[in-house]
Amino acid sequence: MKMTKIYEGSHQWIMFGRDEGKPDNIIDTNQYVVRTPNRCLLLDPGGAELFAPMMAAVLHHAPVDQITDLFASHQDPDVISSLGLWDQALTNAKLHAPAIWEGFLRHYSCESIEYVPIPDNGGTIKLESVELQLIPAHYLHSPGNFHVYDPQAKILMTGDVGAAFEAPDAPVFVDNFAAHVEKMRHWHQRMMPSNQAKRVWIERVRNMDIDILAPQHGRMFKGDDVKRFLDWFDALQVGIAV
Amino acid sequence: MTNQTKSQFIAVASITSELSAVMVVAKEISLAAANAKAIAFRAGDKAKGFQPITDFINELAKETIELVTNINIYALVLYRLTVDEYQKTAAYNKFELAAKMAEGAVYAKSMQEPVDHARLSMQDCQRQFKRDVSQLLGQLEAVMHHARAARVIAANSRIEASQAGEYLQSLQAVAESVDKAAHTIHDNVQRCRIALSIYRNS
Ligand SMILES: [Fe+2]
Ligand SMILES: [Fe+2]
Repeated sequence: MKMTKIYEGSHQWIMFGRDEGKPDNIIDTNQYVVRTPNRCLLLDPGGAELFAPMMAAVLHHAPVDQITDLFASHQDPDVISSLGLWDQALTNAKLHAPAIWEGFLRHYSCESIEYVPIPDNGGTIKLESVELQLIPAHYLHSPGNFHVYDPQAKILMTGDVGAAFEAPDAPVFVDNFAAHVEKMRHWHQRMMPSNQAKRVWIERVRNMDIDILAPQHGRMFKGDDVKRFLDWFDALQVGIAV
Repeated sequence: MTNQTKSQFIAVASITSELSAVMVVAKEISLAAANAKAIAFRAGDKAKGFQPITDFINELAKETIELVTNINIYALVLYRLTVDEYQKTAAYNKFELAAKMAEGAVYAKSMQEPVDHARLSMQDCQRQFKRDVSQLLGQLEAVMHHARAARVIAANSRIEASQAGEYLQSLQAVAESVDKAAHTIHDNVQRCRIALSIYRNS
């Protein structure tokens, strides 16, 4: 598992991905970790197949008992089917996930982990002195979906928005936006159901101060590429399968 | 899933299916008993010896149904345990793998506790499963006992039927059906026991 530190300040953001041991037939995912002095938050911790490499990677940054928080942007298996395993490994942790998915996600088993339901209008996660904002992003693509914004690090973790599918050794940042577009187009057109939801989300996100836009698949967008992405997404017609 | 887990799932599932067949047959016996009672009543003195037997058959059928109902509840518990054990074993294996992959990581040692804990709860599950299997085998033994008793009664019924004059044939048919049912119960329960016996507490 490749680890890339994407923010270093009073706390850290680390991106995990490009897992070389991953079976070929499952989708490649990026996991993000927010590390404060005594706590650790895993954003979209990934599928059950990814549990062992992910856990092993996190142990480079935090001991098991300091993994206190998990966040699931939505209910998809590539996001959180590892829940049942984290549930057995962690003794004192919370899962922050959309309220509407509680009854669904509990199918993965969530007994020792406390399920903290995120209401439709969003909320926050407090991690020691860091406060992360949970930004509603419903219907992008999941009907109950949140992104995580860190105003201090200026990072917006966007789940499946901005996703692309890449070779296992692809760089972690977009370096040629024009070339990257083709890797994103069909995914966004096919997976995102609502032009209206997209418009509302873009309006909201344009007002945020963002250095890095960090999706759950593919490459992150940095600097001007963030705006380029928003403009491109704005102009894209989605929900094409009907 | 390992072969061991697979066969455990199959063993537990087969109990439920064998037992539902036993249930059907036990109900047939109960029906045969009611039938026999009516015939014995009509036959009056000629089937005097047969009357207490019909009550006996009925009682036996009722007890078998009750036992099987209990065993079915038990089988469900056993199924849940099997699922639990499967999940705990999977977790333990993943934790061990994570610990191995984390070798050299700063906090690799912190994985030891979850690994130990997972191993213990997996072993707990295995022990519990063996204990429950032993109990279930005991209950199945009781059903076998009933089936054997039913066969003895069937044999007695035949003797009594032979003295029932014109009712001979219908009473013999009752005895026949009880015997056949007892046979089926015996065979099905025997299959359950064989499937489970490899998991019994040694
Ligand atoms: Fe998704
Ligand atoms: Fe995804």
